[in-house]
Amino acid sequence: MAFESQSIDRRTFVKGGALTASAIALAGCGKKDDTTTATTGSSDGGTLTYFITSPVSIDPFNAQDVYGDMVTYNLFDALTVYDFDKQELKGLAAESWEVNDDASEFTFKIRQGNKFHNGETVDAASFKRSWERTCNPKTTSSPSVVSYNIKLVEGYADVLAGTTTDLAGVTCPDEYTLKVKLSSPFADFPYVCSMAMMGPVPKAALDDFDTYFYAPIGNGPFQMDGKWEDGQHIYLKRYDDYANGDKAKLQNLHFNIQKDVETAYREFQAGTIDIAEVPTAQISDAISQYGKSDDGYTITPSHQCLMGDEPSTYFLTCNVTDPVMGDVHLRHAISLAINRQAICDTLFEGTRNPADGVVAPSCQGYQPGQWADARYDVDAAKAILDQYYPADENGDRGLDLKLSYNMDGSHKQIMESVIADLEAVGLKVDSDTKEFASILQDYDNGTFQFGRLGWMASYPTMDAMMFPLFYTGNGDNTSHYSNPDVDAALLAARATTDESARIDKYREVDALLAEDMPIIPLMFYKHNKVGSSRIKTAYISPMEMTQANHWEVSD
Amino acid sequence: MVKYIIKRVLQFIPVFLGVTIILFVVKTVVPGDPIKLIAGDKALTPEVELQLRAANDMIETDDNGAIIYDDEGNTIATPIWKQYIHYMSGLLHGDLGTSYTRKQAVTDIFAQKYPYTIKLAIVAIIIEAVVGIGAGMVSAIKRYSFWDVLVTLITSLLVAMPAFWLGMLLQLFFGVWMKDWTGGAFYLPISGASGEFQDWVYYILPAVTLAAVSTAYAARIMRSQLLEVMNQDYIRTAKAKGLSRHDVIVHHALKNALIPVVTYIGIDFGGMLSGAILTETVFNWPGVGYEIYRAITQRDWPIVMGGVTLVVIVVLVINLIVDISYAFLDPRIRFGAPKDQA
Repeated sequence: MAFESQSIDRRTFVKGGALTASAIALAGCGKKDDTTTATTGSSDGGTLTYFITSPVSIDPFNAQDVYGDMVTYNLFDALTVYDFDKQELKGLAAESWEVNDDASEFTFKIRQGNKFHNGETVDAASFKRSWERTCNPKTTSSPSVVSYNIKLVEGYADVLAGTTTDLAGVTCPDEYTLKVKLSSPFADFPYVCSMAMMGPVPKAALDDFDTYFYAPIGNGPFQMDGKWEDGQHIYLKRYDDYANGDKAKLQNLHFNIQKDVETAYREFQAGTIDIAEVPTAQISDAISQYGKSDDGYTITPSHQCLMGDEPSTYFLTCNVTDPVMGDVHLRHAISLAINRQAICDTLFEGTRNPADGVVAPSCQGYQPGQWADARYDVDAAKAILDQYYPADENGDRGLDLKLSYNMDGSHKQIMESVIADLEAVGLKVDSDTKEFASILQDYDNGTFQFGRLGWMASYPTMDAMMFPLFYTGNGDNTSHYSNPDVDAALLAARATTDESARIDKYREVDALLAEDMPIIPLMFYKHNKVGSSRIKTAYISPMEMTQANHWEVSD
Repeated sequence: MVKYIIKRVLQFIPVFLGVTIILFVVKTVVPGDPIKLIAGDKALTPEVELQLRAANDMIETDDNGAIIYDDEGNTIATPIWKQYIHYMSGLLHGDLGTSYTRKQAVTDIFAQKYPYTIKLAIVAIIIEAVVGIGAGMVSAIKRYSFWDVLVTLITSLLVAMPAFWLGMLLQLFFGVWMKDWTGGAFYLPISGASGEFQDWVYYILPAVTLAAVSTAYAARIMRSQLLEVMNQDYIRTAKAKGLSRHDVIVHHALKNALIPVVTYIGIDFGGMLSGAILTETVFNWPGVGYEIYRAITQRDWPIVMGGVTLVVIVVLVINLIVDISYAFLDPRIRFGAPKDQA
């Protein structure tokens, strides 16, 4: 059935549509408050918007991920902070500290005159309170997963077991003195005290967990402006009574929560985010459009892409208890057969560097060429294989290897490249692909041959790269490596209070590891961040966690 | 009617039990240990790992929450049936457990997320109802005209277009390109639910994306139903009686033609309230769909279980409301009445 034409003609409809579209577009320009947008600055310091993914926690209680730590770091001043320029640890909330001869007891002098954002005094007790809150399994219905960082503090096990809430190894002889006694020597403990999870908390943190978790009250240069809107944003504003250092130049520091790097980069292009990460596929375009930072860590106009080294290593962990991978010669041959530079250039457009050891460049004690066989040398690889695994007339070396990896991210392409390199020297490699949870379970159970993994140091010392990965029985020792000489040398280094002597001792450990190669280092991570042209200056440290006191945006 | 509602509510029970049992089986069958993922790439200490397993009912504990060990000093895994009973018992008390990764009660997390999903669904369903029914009517009333062809073309295009792709196109067009073309004067926010713009502006692109495909279907159903009804004898009778064209369409044709459209829109609304995973993910919308997606990728089972449980309840209730609404649209339908009267 057909109906007659009605009164609305085509022109009227088109006009109406155009008007409606214009109205919507105009509505889109209706911003809440022009003084607090990412696209406009202001004379009071302005607002900078920083991309993060959804953090696990911004409360020291469970601070663990890079993005969450970036927020926590600006809300809380821990005892110490590492100065990457000077390569030294400095006091932050602590004005000084002393260590006893065997590095088992530390005395921190807390800087006086500092207050939490609610006006409460920052004293030694506020640190003890925070660490006890983190260890106490009754703080909330599920325990913190970062308390292991202070497991060497005496009394940790008792608090964790729930038998007491008093962390016996931490005492406060006076209001501004904090004494920490460890159950075994660990000279790097002051570095542990620079972590975001080590910040102090005021008494209010013990009142209602949920309230504090979403709107933590800290002692850092910025304070919460409203509460953490899960999945959306975390707004911080300058803390005007900050007395621990220079007051922030920015009026507001906004963390915009996005689900991934790609979406965040679209927002950056739209001008709603000032600092984002660049998707690998767009690195070249971004560098040509925005320019490369001179030092790799500081954003300035026309030098807006950060490509500085991070203290993180991507590697293959080898199960040394496996009959095949237990052979050290095979591990060396595999390492020599992998063309790391090609992976960095083709898959990552130079945003990663070939790894020449486990210790990453931005860590203390890094030396170029530290592991002799962490390099690409096909002839050397073939020579080892020919000696220990000679090929038969069919070219078969009699080895069936299985490489474990999860396929998400760019892991699949990296591992395919590794497999191609290994096949080029006559090794047969099958892929064992699973989800990351299953891979971790296999690593834990030792039911694998070799597989991919990454490691980011919690603080930039050699110990943070070595002890977790190679000390016998550690949970992160996925290669199930055990060498009494390495264990003893690690413990000796931990008990050495002189920093340069300590670094020498870790280098001795590194030399042992270079021979045993329980892991095969592949790449070092680098920043791949970009800042908007309205940023006058913004320094982002190799560890990313950076206090933004000195960041500036233009009007 | 009351009997019918009671009967339908009782039918919820087996459906609900079935879904939760399937979820529990899936949770058991899926390889990998979610507790291992909690600390990311770093390992948990054995003590904390045990506490997390105890807190999440994976190992047996006594009434005080202390871990129970067997004679050889090993922990005892909680049988899956026992976990299920504990879960259902908690559910009846309004407790859906605590997220593995975030130290928050699942009920609190969804209490934050659901308002966003509901508001987005309402805006999308209004678009779907107004545009879908409107376009379908225009298309049917002006059959074979320019407008009919236009509606048919656009609906075909929208039906064929994946929602996530449409969303990304809208983001590029209204968020990036339009801003470039107008020198920053006109553009729309492309992600999130609040920020520098007025809050309602954030709804435009996700709601249009969420409604797009359904609107196309609604328009098509409306068109075909209206055309079918207009061929019925009673419409001819109404016309023969001298009723105006307006009265024939509005009072006689539209009411009957609307029944399948209302059913479709109603069920679609239930789906939207369950969280539009693709749309919410593309637009970083802090709703239930995105939360469930995030929980699945992180193996955060308490959130997945709690989310799906809520979604099942919402879908069942919405379906019931849709069924009841038939009675108001079509006087011939009387639920619970003998068949010969229905």
